[in-house]
Amino acid sequence: MNPRPQPLGRAGAKAACTIACGPIILVCVLGFLFGGCGVGTSDRGPIRFWNGFTGPDGRTMLRLVKRFNCSNTGPRVLMQRMDWGTYYNKLMVAGIGGRAPDVFVVHVDVLQRFMRTSFVRPMDDLFTKANGLDPADFDPNVRRAVTRHGRPYGVPLDVHILGMYYNVRLFRDAGIVDAAGRPRPPTNREEFLAAARRLTRDTDGDGRIDQWGFVFTWFRTNVYAVMAQFGGKFFSADGRRCLIAGPQNVAALQFCADLIHKYRVAPSPQNFDSWIGFRQGRVGMAFEGVYMLGSLEKQTDLDYAGAPLPVLGGEPASWAGSHVLCLRADLRGERLKTAWRLVRFLSDNSLDWAAGGQIPVRRSLRNTARFRSMRVQAQFARQLPNIRYGPAVPFIFEFYSEFDTAVDKALRGTASPAQALREAAERIDRIIEREQALAEQAPAGRSQ
Amino acid sequence: MGESTHFHRRASGYLFLLPYVVLFVLFLALPLAYGLGLSLFRWELVSPAPARFIGAGNYREALGDPYFWKALWATFRFVLLQVPITIVFALFTAVALDAVSARRQAFYRAACFLPGMISISVAGIVWRWFFNNEFGLFNAWLGAVGVKVPWISDPRLAMKSLAMMTLWWSFGGPTVIFLAGLKEIPRQLHDAAAIDGAGPVQRFRYITLPLLRPVFLFVVVMSTIGGFQMFGQAFMITRGGPEFSTRVLVQYIYETAFTHYRMGYGAAMSWMLFVVIAVFSLVQFRLIRERRRHEI
Repeated sequence: MNPRPQPLGRAGAKAACTIACGPIILVCVLGFLFGGCGVGTSDRGPIRFWNGFTGPDGRTMLRLVKRFNCSNTGPRVLMQRMDWGTYYNKLMVAGIGGRAPDVFVVHVDVLQRFMRTSFVRPMDDLFTKANGLDPADFDPNVRRAVTRHGRPYGVPLDVHILGMYYNVRLFRDAGIVDAAGRPRPPTNREEFLAAARRLTRDTDGDGRIDQWGFVFTWFRTNVYAVMAQFGGKFFSADGRRCLIAGPQNVAALQFCADLIHKYRVAPSPQNFDSWIGFRQGRVGMAFEGVYMLGSLEKQTDLDYAGAPLPVLGGEPASWAGSHVLCLRADLRGERLKTAWRLVRFLSDNSLDWAAGGQIPVRRSLRNTARFRSMRVQAQFARQLPNIRYGPAVPFIFEFYSEFDTAVDKALRGTASPAQALREAAERIDRIIEREQALAEQAPAGRSQ
Repeated sequence: MGESTHFHRRASGYLFLLPYVVLFVLFLALPLAYGLGLSLFRWELVSPAPARFIGAGNYREALGDPYFWKALWATFRFVLLQVPITIVFALFTAVALDAVSARRQAFYRAACFLPGMISISVAGIVWRWFFNNEFGLFNAWLGAVGVKVPWISDPRLAMKSLAMMTLWWSFGGPTVIFLAGLKEIPRQLHDAAAIDGAGPVQRFRYITLPLLRPVFLFVVVMSTIGGFQMFGQAFMITRGGPEFSTRVLVQYIYETAFTHYRMGYGAAMSWMLFVVIAVFSLVQFRLIRERRRHEI
């Protein structure tokens, strides 16, 4: 039988009260202290700078921010890094809730989505030659990507272009060299296929291929670039219809699938991790972003080089992205001046930023001897006039989700390219209809 | 007992409860109610259109959404694959551990529990490498005998691979709970049965299993709920692919609400998942209790 519980008495009740109220008081105090952090327009405290540079690029950016803080007389800049995977969720929720950081980075293809909100500041009054940043120093196609209704909403910091990395040793071993014995990267479809065939080998004679001519790294960027080269379009001019299932895109995706299933020069799909195959020296060619350079530069046992993508379709084109520096809409006074000085400082010093695996977006910086000495970046930068950013649609993540699925199916061979793209187009059309219905419900003057 | 003492006892009891009640209301009851309300609105964070009451519109949309059904089916497949395997494996591991000396038991118990201490992000990244088609550890081993398995690149195999990873990651908890349950079974019952000529299998069948039933119920229900809420493994290892074959409902809800910012629709699907879990839990309680009553 359990002993009967004893009454606590006054002392016990006091103790219970303390134990009970302690956590509540703690929660209230913490809520008071941290709940208010950054709520609304704060005229005090450091300038908050958010970005998703969590890799080695984050350390480079931190060094730049420290340098800025040393010379800055205004409020100190506090940089906060978070993983890109969750970054946009946090940024969006913070912005909608009135707690947006003062300065923040977004990718150019996501900018459309953020421009619809009210917390991104148009920069037409700041982004001028008189204010220290000459728009003419930026390529027109890059400038267009950050402009909406004639107003720039951010300053592009860099451009990360998809290019071709190739294994120099494997090229030499396969005899893909010029008259001087230098490796000769392919520049068109025929050369690409010939090189891929010669590089695909069973090196140990066990009947299985263990060295591949080519690998798909990130399906999205790889196939997007090939589609652009085939002249593919993604949306109608008025944005009301998805054209992803057009004949050029189908042909491009068919070519990509053929590399695996018909020509057998690329392994079965495995997405991101195929990059490690390139790093292990078991892959001849891979299309990857210039941002992967950081991981290669640390590797001493891999002889690699970079080149523009070969023209696999009818025209040169490559996928690209840009990090764009944006400002919070309600910045005023000294805080706005400091935030703008930071943007200018980062843009002016974007060659330092580029050294970690980026391409400066400003022409004046690309024309320097220092940039020209960056062998891979300089090669990839040759594609700048022909870059294609992701489509400028506000439902970009839903588009990518459908696009990725269609490409995945086609490359795995579970659906024909035409069928996979047709299904994706139907679903994207439904998303467009939903977006249009919402836009019609928007109050007058806020229609996007 | 005096009036005042009685009052103090009651009051102190409520006061002890208060912190949990406050936290429960603040962080569970209120968000749940808010989510239920939200599920009745069309509210998209980035849209200029204001939130609009649409009643059961989001629920109707889910019922007609092929991705919802695909994600729900993927979730069911995961639960059906992972829960029975985990429970059987944990049960037999616990029985085996129960038979070894206390000192060794402590070591093995810690070893079983260790994988569960690793965060799912870290475990997910490590296993993604293990599973890699061309360059992964498993295929490197299997390559020695000329076998190559597309662990996570084949839609038919990917979910099984995730269940395998989850077994490694999560069987420690149920094992420790089963072990604690086994310790509660009086040794005399086994001794008496042994004297009566019962072998180890008979003792397991007629003594261990029936007396473990309450623990079994707890583990089954908790594992099932955990299975329905699976997210980290799929998100880290396969990102829901290939071809959405491993995109479970929680991931779809996450993407809908926090990537596509369709808050109302996300909330509606969350509530639908809640109902599914509640129904499953009730059925499990009912089945296991019914059988006990029947046996008595």
